[in-house]
Amino acid sequence: MHAFIQAVILGILTGGVYALMASGQTLIFGIMKVVNLAQGALVVLGAYLTYTLFTQLGIDPFLSILITTPLLFLVGVAVQWALLRPLHGDDVAQLSLLVTFAIALGIEGVLSFAYSATLTNVQPSYANFSWTVLGYQVSLVRFVAFVLSLVMLGALYFILQRTKFGRSVRATVQNPMSAQLLGVNANRVSALGFGLGAATAAAAGSVFGMLNSFNPGSHYDLISRLLTIVVLGGLGSIGGSVVAALVMGVASSVVSALASPIWSDFTFFIVLLLVLLIRPRGLFGARTRGAL
Amino acid sequence: MAADPTTTSLLELTGVTAGYGAGLILKGVDLSVARGQIVCLIGPNGAGKSTVLKTVSGLLRNAGGTVVFDGEDIGKLSSRDRLQRGIVHVPQDRSLFPTMTVWENVVMGAFILSDQALIRRRVEEVAEIFPIVAKRRTAAAGSLSGGEQKQVELARSLMLDPALILLDEPSIGLDPKSRTSVFASISTLASDGRTVLLVEQNARSGLAVAHKAAVLETGRVALTGTGQSLLDDPEVARLYLGASAQGRAESLAKSV
Repeated sequence: MHAFIQAVILGILTGGVYALMASGQTLIFGIMKVVNLAQGALVVLGAYLTYTLFTQLGIDPFLSILITTPLLFLVGVAVQWALLRPLHGDDVAQLSLLVTFAIALGIEGVLSFAYSATLTNVQPSYANFSWTVLGYQVSLVRFVAFVLSLVMLGALYFILQRTKFGRSVRATVQNPMSAQLLGVNANRVSALGFGLGAATAAAAGSVFGMLNSFNPGSHYDLISRLLTIVVLGGLGSIGGSVVAALVMGVASSVVSALASPIWSDFTFFIVLLLVLLIRPRGLFGARTRGAL
Repeated sequence: MAADPTTTSLLELTGVTAGYGAGLILKGVDLSVARGQIVCLIGPNGAGKSTVLKTVSGLLRNAGGTVVFDGEDIGKLSSRDRLQRGIVHVPQDRSLFPTMTVWENVVMGAFILSDQALIRRRVEEVAEIFPIVAKRRTAAAGSLSGGEQKQVELARSLMLDPALILLDEPSIGLDPKSRTSVFASISTLASDGRTVLLVEQNARSGLAVAHKAAVLETGRVALTGTGQSLLDDPEVARLYLGASAQGRAESLAKSV
């Protein structure tokens, strides 16, 4: 029982970070109907930026989020403007898959050139510090990462629910033509939305680098997990992706602790398969547009 | 001497052609909409009625001819620029944002404004005309009935205090009671001095509220007159006002 509860705690803390990554992925899908295959690569890029800021300039990995997040926001806006906005026609969805995959490969190439393919991680002095609470171990890094993810998700929720930009995003997601008729600039919303998605990847990347060893090719594993979470949560639903990330985090952690780490990754897909068999739209997928 | 505002033209379409890709749907539309009037476009499916509205609001650019609004050729302006000039378009399909509240939906009608005090005042004014805005203020728009949603759409269209409202099939899919209510609201808009260009499949109700009407056939205006004169026209009555099956067949044969 102790091992089970310890695994649940670990799963929840890990799931929070995945929730942050996946919220950006599902936001981009909600606005643009683009399955962003570069989200994992953007997370890895965020991790490497944090690594460089930490090793070269001595900036604390958590503090580096203040630098990496706005930086990748701008990268996201630029990528959308330069590579996705020009796509037109009935096959935009398929073309955007190829384009975002190309972006992922491009980021992987640049990172391989700059950092080599060796696994690395970000190791601040407190990396191995943990508390014992009621007999259970709680890692400082995982706990702060989880809290930080909640704060970032809260900020995202605030932006979407309480700001004019957020209303324009939700309007575009729910009825693009109607939003345009009311004066919403769909191109601007898409660019800023992609930027926000990339910014969540940057923030998640900073903590991912402390929790995991990574190399430029780590994005393949990440994107498969993120797509699983986003599909499980219901495409376009941020709340759904948060719940799905927590479910996946716990399931994977429990299987890893009680069975074997070998089955941990496989758990993601088993859970996805089981949920989709019962509920094909995912946990929170809407019948119609407007899930955000 | 100043022109009588009720007879001067607010919108003037001259030889307008428009379509998607190579195919033209509008093949030379001439139409004049006077200030403060309700003008109703009727015609068979595929005649180009909705396309006329899209060409005026900027969802679709005219390929040829001119679209003049308040003395200015607006053919090359974006839909946002046209919105700023006071042209609002309420599309045929349900256009509310279903998970937003009624209040949020109405506020979205003033998206291009930044003066918060003005927006608040406008919402209050609009809520007086359409009580449902205050009554169902916090309800998700998607939870309203079709008739209620249409009332909220009309309320939202007033948020910019527009000069011209383009209404595409406002009664489609509504029950008879809601239809009556919607047409009463449209009459109210005009009595407040607004100009309405209305596309309506339910021709009898559309013509009944219209000062002027036009019949659109295969991308051209085939006939114009007052709403009443078209209601009284036996040919229009035969073809569009509860026509007999034979009448419809003849109409179809003519258009082929």
